[in-house]
Order: sequence, then C-alpha cells, then structure tokens
Amino acid sequence: MNIQQFQEKLFEIGEQHGFTDMEFYFERKEKFKCGLFKGEIDTYETSEIAGGSFRGLYDGKMGYAFTENLDESSLLYLVENAKENAQFIEAEIQEDIFEGSKTYQEGNYYSTELAKVTVPEKIELLKEIEKHIYAYDDRVTGTNYFILESAESTRSLMNTKGLSLDERQNYIGMFISVVVKQGDETKTGAYAKATKDFSAFVPKEIAKYAVEEALAKLNAQTAESKHYPVLLRNDAAGDLFETFSEIFSAENAQMGRSLLSGKEGEMIAASSLQLIDNPFLEEGLLSRSFDSEGVATMKKTIVQDGKLVTLLHNRKTAGKAGVESTGNAYKGSYKGSLTVSPTNLYVEPSNQSFEELVAMMDEGIVITDLAGLHSGADTVSGDFSLAANGFLVKDGKIQKTVKQMTIAGNFFELLKNIKATGSDLEFSMSNVGSPSLLIKELAVTVE
Amino acid sequence: MLAKSVIEDVLTAALATGGDFSELFLEDRYTNHLDLQGGKIENSLSGRDFGIGIRVFKGLQSVYTYTTDGTKEGLLKAARNAAHAISGEMTIQPEPLKKEIITCAHPITMNPRETEKIRKVNVMKKAYEIAKNYHSSIQQAMVRYLDEEQNVLIANSEGKWIEDQRVRSRLVIQSIASNGKQIQPGYYGPGAHKGFEFLENLNIEHYANEASRIAVTMLGADPCPSGKFPVIIDNEFGGVIFHEACGHGLEATAVAKNNSVFANRIGEKVASDVVTYIDDGTIANEWGSITIDDEGEKARKNVLIENGILKGYLIDKLNGRRMGMESTGSGRRQSYRFAPTSRMTNTYIAEGKSTREEIISNTEHGIYAKYMGGGSVNPATGDYNFAVMEAYLVKDGKIGKPLKGATLVGNGPETIKLVDMVGNNLAHGAGMCGSLSGSIPVNVGQPMIRVSEMTVGGSKEANVE
Repeated sequence: MNIQQFQEKLFEIGEQHGFTDMEFYFERKEKFKCGLFKGEIDTYETSEIAGGSFRGLYDGKMGYAFTENLDESSLLYLVENAKENAQFIEAEIQEDIFEGSKTYQEGNYYSTELAKVTVPEKIELLKEIEKHIYAYDDRVTGTNYFILESAESTRSLMNTKGLSLDERQNYIGMFISVVVKQGDETKTGAYAKATKDFSAFVPKEIAKYAVEEALAKLNAQTAESKHYPVLLRNDAAGDLFETFSEIFSAENAQMGRSLLSGKEGEMIAASSLQLIDNPFLEEGLLSRSFDSEGVATMKKTIVQDGKLVTLLHNRKTAGKAGVESTGNAYKGSYKGSLTVSPTNLYVEPSNQSFEELVAMMDEGIVITDLAGLHSGADTVSGDFSLAANGFLVKDGKIQKTVKQMTIAGNFFELLKNIKATGSDLEFSMSNVGSPSLLIKELAVTVE
Repeated sequence: MLAKSVIEDVLTAALATGGDFSELFLEDRYTNHLDLQGGKIENSLSGRDFGIGIRVFKGLQSVYTYTTDGTKEGLLKAARNAAHAISGEMTIQPEPLKKEIITCAHPITMNPRETEKIRKVNVMKKAYEIAKNYHSSIQQAMVRYLDEEQNVLIANSEGKWIEDQRVRSRLVIQSIASNGKQIQPGYYGPGAHKGFEFLENLNIEHYANEASRIAVTMLGADPCPSGKFPVIIDNEFGGVIFHEACGHGLEATAVAKNNSVFANRIGEKVASDVVTYIDDGTIANEWGSITIDDEGEKARKNVLIENGILKGYLIDKLNGRRMGMESTGSGRRQSYRFAPTSRMTNTYIAEGKSTREEIISNTEHGIYAKYMGGGSVNPATGDYNFAVMEAYLVKDGKIGKPLKGATLVGNGPETIKLVDMVGNNLAHGAGMCGSLSGSIPVNVGQPMIRVSEMTVGGSKEANVE
C-alpha cells in the first residue's frame, strides 16, 4: 500500500466511524551517522523511517493517534484510538482542520549538491579532521565524541478540506568534543555545526577550533565569587535563548506558564534588542514554508527595540487570543501533538566584534559554554543557575581561565540588562542563534 | 513476532561481508499519553512505534541500521545496508537459533492497553484536585499520565532468540504557585515497571500534596547563598547526584575509551569508606528494572563501589570487547532507533548507619537539599551540575528557612570522597536518563547523605547572611 492509498483508506474508514474533518500527517526520513575514534570507525549508522499521524474531529473534538507500522492493521488502530482519545478531550477551544493559506512562500531547503556527497567522502572528511586534531597539540588525548550526521526528510500534510502540502529538507551536521590533559587537569572543547554546504567543513580550521577551545580551559584558576558584568559568547548566548525560547509561546502564556502573558506592546528588554523568527533562512534547521497545521509560515519580529510585538501562535492559541496564527504550529514529529515553537529564532546582530565587547569591560567574566540547561533553568520563573566555563577579564583584556563556575540570574532581568550586542551571530547546531551579548551583571560563583 | 527463517536470513545477510557478529532488535510499542491542564484533559494521544534495528560487529567496528519497514524485503535491505559498511568476505555463519523462554521478573496485573481510559482520567483528576486545592497560591496544576507496552524480540548470530514485554506507567504532577509577582513550580513524577495497578495503589494524596507544597514553600523562599558549604542531600531522588557524578563515569561507554576518571582503577579506593554504590536491574517492578537488557542479557545486581573501593563497571557487549570483560546486563536503548550501549538501571547508594536526626544535628552551618532537580555531567572531566528544587539553610544543627535557586556544582570523583555520613533510610526515585543510546527510564536512589563540602551556586553572595 502506498501512502496515497493508505491516506484514502484512512479517511474512508474515519468517515465510517463518524469523523467529520480529518488530517493525515506523514514523514519519511533517511539518516546517516558516522563517528571516528583514533582512526577507527566506531559509530556507523544508517536508517530509513516513516510514520504518520491521524488527527480528526469526532463529535466536535479533536482525536489523535500515530503509527510507524503503515500496514492494513494500523488503519483501524488509528481511527479507533483517535476516536477514543477525542471522547476525553475537554479543552474549551478545539483545534481545527485548516483549509489552507492563500499563498505559500516557496523556499529551497533541500540542497541537491549536498545530496550528492558520498559516504566515502564523508568518512574521508572525518579522517582528515581527526588527523589535524591529534597533530595540533600533544596534550590531546582523545575525543569524547566525534560524529558526522546527515539527513534528509520529507513531510506531507493532507486533509479532507482539500489541502495537500509537502516539503523536502536536508542538512549535514558535525559534533566534536576533544579531550586534552595536562598534569591532573582534563578539559574538553566542543565544535558543533549544521549546514547544507559540505565545503563549509574545513578540516584544519575545525580541528584548530575544537582543540583551542579545550586548551584554553587549562591552567584554570580561582577568582572571586561576586556579581560581574558578563559577556555571553555567541554560542553560550544562543544556548540560553534556546532554553528560554518557550517564553515566547502563546500556548505557555495562556497556560499561565510565561511571564510575557499580556505583555504585547510593553518594553520587556533593553531597547537595543531585536528578536526575529525567520522560517526562510536557507541554512536554518527549522526552515519551512508551511507549519504543522498547514498554515503558511512568515518572518516576524518578536521583540522590536525592546518592545514585545507578538507571541508565537498556532491556530488554537490565536483563536483564544482573537488574533491570526503566526504560522508557528509545531509537531516534533508525527508522534507529537500540536504545540507552538519558533522556526529559526535569533537575536539580530549589531556591528561590534567580540573583541570590542571584551574591551568594554573593566572587570568581567566571559562565558564560553553553559551546562545544565535542562535542569538549572526554570522557564516559568525565568530563574537560572547554570554551570559555566570562561575567562576573567581585567582592563578590557582576557586575563585568565576561571575554574568551573555557576552563573545565576533571571532571564527576564537579563533581557533588560543587555548592554551591547555583538556582530557574530551563530546558530551552531540549533534553530536558535545569537551574537555575543554583554550583560550588565550576573551572580558568578567560582568552584 | 517474526518467523525464524526470516530472522536467520537477516542475520546471515548482515554477516555477508565479513562481520563476526550480527543482531536483530525488533520493537513494537504501544503508548498512551494524557495531559490535564486547568482541570481539563487537553491532550490524549495514542501511538504505535514499530521498527527494527540491525547491528553488525567486526572486531571493534560496529555498524547499526534501523528501519520502520518490517517486511522481509525491508529487513534484508537494512541488513545489506549494514553489511555494506564492512568490506570483506563472509567468514562465519550464524549459529542455529535457540528460542529462550523467559518469565517476566516484573509481573503486570493490569495491562494499560486493556484498561479503560476513563480510569486513567479519573486518577489524573483526583491528583489535580488535591494539587490545586493545596493552597490558595496554587495558580495552576498540570497532570500528565504516560503508559507504554514495549514488546521486543532480540536475536543474534550466537544463536540467541528471546522475546520480552516491558510495561511501564508514570504519573507526573506539576504545581505552579504564584504571589502575583513571582511564579514557582513544584514537581513530582512517580513511575514503575507496572501496569495500571501502579496508579490504583499509588498514594496520590502524598505526591500531589508534595508537588504543591514544594511550589508554595519555594515561592516564599530567600535566594540561596553562594559559596562552599556542607550539604545534606535527602534520600530518594537525591540519588541523582551520584547518578551524574559517578554513575555515568562507571559506564563502559566512558571507561572503555579511557575517557572516565574511573578507568583502569578497579581495586583502588575511589570514594570515602561509607560509600557502597550499586546498580540493580532486578528490583521487583521498579521504574528502572528490566528482565533482560536490550542485548538479551539477564538483568543483575552489579556492585560498582564497595566501602569506597571500585569493584566494577556497567558493561555492554561492544565495550566488553574493547575492555576484554563480560557484559553486565547493562546494554540498554531508548528504542530501535538507537544502538544499545552501557547504561544504568536502578542505581543507588546502599544504606549506612546514621539516622536522619544525627546527620542534621551534626551539621552546624550548611545547606539541606530536600528535593533535587535534574543535572548533567561531562564524563571526561567528571564535572557535574544540578539544580536543587527544594533547599533549606541548616543552622546550629537545625533545618532553617527555605532557599530557592540553588545549584550544586563540582567534580564527581572529588565529591564522592567527601561523603562523610550515610543515612539508614534508602529510597528510590524515578527519572529519565539521556545519553548516547537515547532517553531511558532509570531509578536513582540513596539514603540521606552528607557531603562535607560542596560548591553551591546561588544568586546571593555567601557573606551576606
């Protein structure tokens, strides 16, 4: 049974069971993953997966079910389970099945050049990078992980209101963590990047970056624990924004889980902050022309000159708020239910270089990486207390590496305390990116 | 779940290019997931995960491929894809399959797939009412219900052919307290390797009240001071500290590549004398328990550290080859989408002799971490961090005012040497652990312990008392 036949039969059985409006969302994904450890291939993975979810209105309520087994037996499983699920839904405002937007901005999120890169070429790249990693410095003792991953996927959405959309996407990503040892000290340095341009991976530069990251953490010294001005380097700033990106979801706001609820039109950040959600970035990990309900996506400014312009909506949250969907309906995969997510979210860069930002601090801390984001950050209250690595700055110059620290503060306060924004916007391996950000003050505790 | 001849053909095809071991893992998993917010069921989702993972070894080289195509042609194609990554001639044929029949060590009395959904909804509503009505400052409560029935078939070229069923249920309660200016969450998420009987017998009053009590208590709490303090960590989920600080470093994933501070140190003293650390997948019906691991090995009780001496590691098949050691029944994975690797099951610090009262009254000035949040560790360095969900100041041997925003950071191998008191009230708490082979259910556990000095990161400076 091909997908079209499956969908046709599904809607037929659904109708017999009393469903009025129905949708079938289908994804197919092929993935390749390869890792090296000291010259040997120690991870090698290929996969082909497909799955679909059924969503339909039964008695005015939306029922859901999904399957990865697209055989005859799953047709009834989907319909019967979705029907049972619909009966328990008590939400006041229901999701609906969407007839489609007038126009969709076409984008090209599939690189045919990238699709042509062969497995031996990918392995050769890894070997080349590894050679440079070990040659760069004799304090390199190994890699924690050293992985290349490439994937291509297609998502399709078909419904009984006549909408039929599909889109293809691909990317290649690299994650490296290099381990260095010196005396009793062991440190790691990471590199992560996703792109559609295979030639963006330059072995010598990648190796240099990752090893330098690790070496820079050696000879860590203590520093006074107190409040400092903090420069969050682009990757650390991006990680923090990614963690707190859900505060911009209207769904969270409506559930009382975001302090930005009802703050549209108010100043929520320093007047220099511009926060953008752009689904049309060629290199973006969440670039797309339609969202998970089939609504046309759009570029939007979430925060303009420090003022909250809009929260992110799907059709249900927009209906509740009496506004239009912003095209941010999201399903992690066919397995998930509908929620709200940014597409490619980023802080707009300004024109100051990282070095210029460092020079702005008489005494301060540069944070190069953060850990514990899934546990040490509370997106509801905005409070965070995170493990961090970085440097002490004195008189505008990086003076020494500091032992493991924690930085603590509140994200809503931090937004207001952005003193300067860098020019170095970076997404690393995420759909959320930021340039380096200079923050007026955070509590820093040194181990 | 699959015909013997199909399994044999797939295992043979996977060895066609010179692999010395091939393995097939089939998974057919049914899940239910319900969300209750503001007293109403907002989401109800059911699904069927289905897929097959095929793994081939040649020496230390490992290849993994997975597919959702369960037809014979689909499986043979996946096997050929895996074999394709190895270059050579076929050297060995698979052993004839011998089906092993096992009895589930964690019997289920009420399969959730056969339990009416209304009963699940009723439990959720009860939890919601209790949590919501705990206190007037509880602004919102959310309850999530999850169940799964995972059916697996594991077969390999050494003749292993075994099937297993794992059933798990979990209830997660989150309360949010507000005073108009600030909001503060509280959380509790009990789970077990059980069916719906787990929810029927669960002390819902206790868990729902606790979730709300934490939120309300923390709402009025002062910011935690920063600095170095003795820290008392309470029992049950408090065990997450050693899960992060030591457990991950004892996994062969880190040890085999010499990336762990515990590598090559069996027999050495790595912890203070009062510390005995155990991973036990056999505890009846616990959240992290298994009958067999995802490589088909029987679960067992592994003593990792005994009275401070390093005794063993958690080892999977591939890393076992690398280390020249036997598997310890620790090969686990989230799903067919992950190759298995060494992981924890129910990991805990064994009981000591101190009473709760002794530990507290012997602490002059410190921090009491009653409930821990989550955390993470860098296994190469042992540096860990985690959040304390509910903390208190300890002064003159007594528990004082509540403190919010506390984070504990440090180095695992250092911290475990600084444990100076271990209580006699061992308990386990359920969590999800994410690592190379995905997110898996594990228990963390311990009695109340005290660490003589830990770095506490808070938003208030230490000298401001």
